[in-house]
Amino acid sequence: MAFDGLVPALARAPARDKALLGSLLAAALAALAFGVVAGAWVALTRAGAAAPAPENGYRLLTSHGTAAFFFWLYFAQGALLLALAMAHGRERPALALRPLAWLGGALMLAGFAATQAATWIGTPLLYDAEPDLAAENRASALLFYAGYLGLALGLAGVALSAIATAVAGKRERGGAPWSAVTFGAVAWAGLILVSAVAVVNAFLPAALWAAGAGPLPADHSTGWHILFHNLQYLPLMGTVLVWYALVRDFTGGGSVFGERFSKIVFALYLVFVPPTSLYHMFLEPGLAPLVRALGSVLSLFVGVPTIAAFLVIVISLEARARAAGRRGAFGWLRALPWGQPAADALLIAVLSLALGGTFSFVLIQEKLAGLLSDTFFVPAYFHFLTVGTVSLTLLGGIAHIVPSLTGRAPPLRRLLRALPYAIGAALLVFAFAGVAGGLAGLPRRVLDAGYDGLAPAAWRAVSAALGIGGAAMAAGVLAYALALLAGLARFGAAAAPAPAREAAPDAAAIRHSAWSAPASVAVLMLAIYAATAFAFDLMRALPVQASGSGH
Amino acid sequence: MDEDVAALALVFAIWALLAAAYALVPMLSMPDAARVWGAGAAVFLALAVWVARSRRRR
Ligand code: HEM
Repeated sequence: MAFDGLVPALARAPARDKALLGSLLAAALAALAFGVVAGAWVALTRAGAAAPAPENGYRLLTSHGTAAFFFWLYFAQGALLLALAMAHGRERPALALRPLAWLGGALMLAGFAATQAATWIGTPLLYDAEPDLAAENRASALLFYAGYLGLALGLAGVALSAIATAVAGKRERGGAPWSAVTFGAVAWAGLILVSAVAVVNAFLPAALWAAGAGPLPADHSTGWHILFHNLQYLPLMGTVLVWYALVRDFTGGGSVFGERFSKIVFALYLVFVPPTSLYHMFLEPGLAPLVRALGSVLSLFVGVPTIAAFLVIVISLEARARAAGRRGAFGWLRALPWGQPAADALLIAVLSLALGGTFSFVLIQEKLAGLLSDTFFVPAYFHFLTVGTVSLTLLGGIAHIVPSLTGRAPPLRRLLRALPYAIGAALLVFAFAGVAGGLAGLPRRVLDAGYDGLAPAAWRAVSAALGIGGAAMAAGVLAYALALLAGLARFGAAAAPAPAREAAPDAAAIRHSAWSAPASVAVLMLAIYAATAFAFDLMRALPVQASGSGH
Repeated sequence: MDEDVAALALVFAIWALLAAAYALVPMLSMPDAARVWGAGAAVFLALAVWVARSRRRR
């Protein structure tokens, strides 16, 4: 049977597999809801509108970093990975190694509970959990590290189940090559396995030390930087794969460059991960100058796989829309199903990536990394990526597949369609305030940056904007998560059957007709480079006051 | 060779080379990076072997 779309394929999956996906998604959305409430509280504290005791303020920041950046992202990625592997990988969608996937989910849940309990009963360690901070409360630190190790083991279980599912599908199809999405899912699962190793590399020595079974790790920050590098690539790779899979569903056909070319693009992610890791070492004092220079050059390649994948997606979208009769320079954009919440989420995700990408180019340059890395510039720009790009994509992807799990469309469709724009607007306020604050030296990870009235006046203004933007952004994300949770609990109207697709026209024959999509991407890229150059000039003119290290 | 196996094997080769460079080139000398990318190389090698064997066993 030919692939007829993610939603119909998943709808045919066995009930127990749907139950697993539903459970992982519910855990993801609960972690997100918890995480953004904590994030808003921190933002309001910085603005002076909330005043938790200092220790609790850092607990909120730790809960935010762990719940949002770790558990939300990995529960959601785990679920979507399994969904793609099962729906694209097999004729009759079903999970292989199902008990391992359940065990993985349970371990992740235990990990979530452990990190949060440790944070609220012991010393708040922040999400990078330097052992130095934990000297006085090793028992709770052990619980925290065990939580991260549980996450790693659990993720590995889920990833192995996804890979086994794709392998089973290949066997069933007589060894025929995987589809591009299936290959992408396997590559993504492979990177998840490597990230699990990186978690163990970073946190096992700390756990042993906390258990009294090893020395205080001397180089925790190096292990953390390597892990953090993976954790930047991994969700981005997942995001792009979700875009690819959703646009494939929207248009009824895959890439017009053929499946093999898309596989090469997905493999590029893996090829670029290790070499680009050098730029995280910029702040290490003993780094040889040649390595520093090499790191700077390599850092420019960070965006290559994402840009390549994005080009494949938009050119395919335009070519297919033109072949289906869409006219006008941007008529192809109307081929996207604008009535569905996922399309709006994807649009804001792409725009956020352009903005986040611009700022990250500024930050990864060797000369600026040291100047800006301890300022609010860093959290400000990366929320474009974590909230705007990755979280909105995952939320859109979840909105897309919920009907296949429950037979019902999530409720409040109009609200779900509007929320990405509201979240995007709030994000602009939060992030631009934070970038401006960062350039004026506003430190990150400080709950009260007033310094008894001695702080620059500008800091107060940007902190207020941060509070307003942050609270609005959190309210939007929370509403989205709650609506999807209600959808998983089977609230909402019965889902309409997926629209029948016309047979996709021959891919190679229609490729040449796409021009405005690649031209727009080229203009966008030029704009990003111009903005980067402008930012450099601006930065030279500004007194940047803070310096330091770490992410 | 099957294109999926070839792509996974290519990733293995690149990661193994980089892990070796991080471990052996004195100027780079990053044992943590060598460990993680080396383990990653092993993951992709295992994946390539898993996929290749499943094709032969059909
Ligand atoms: C949508 C509502 C959100 C709000 C209002 C929010 C707000 C904040 C604030 C105020 C900080 C503290 C910065 C500092 O003082 O240094 C922060 C840090 C951070 N946020 Fe968010 N955030 C949100 C969503 C997210 C999401 C969805 C993610 C990840 C997927 C995320 C990841 C992070 C990370 C990793 C940090 C750094 C934590 C640290 O330095 O320890 N945030 N966020």
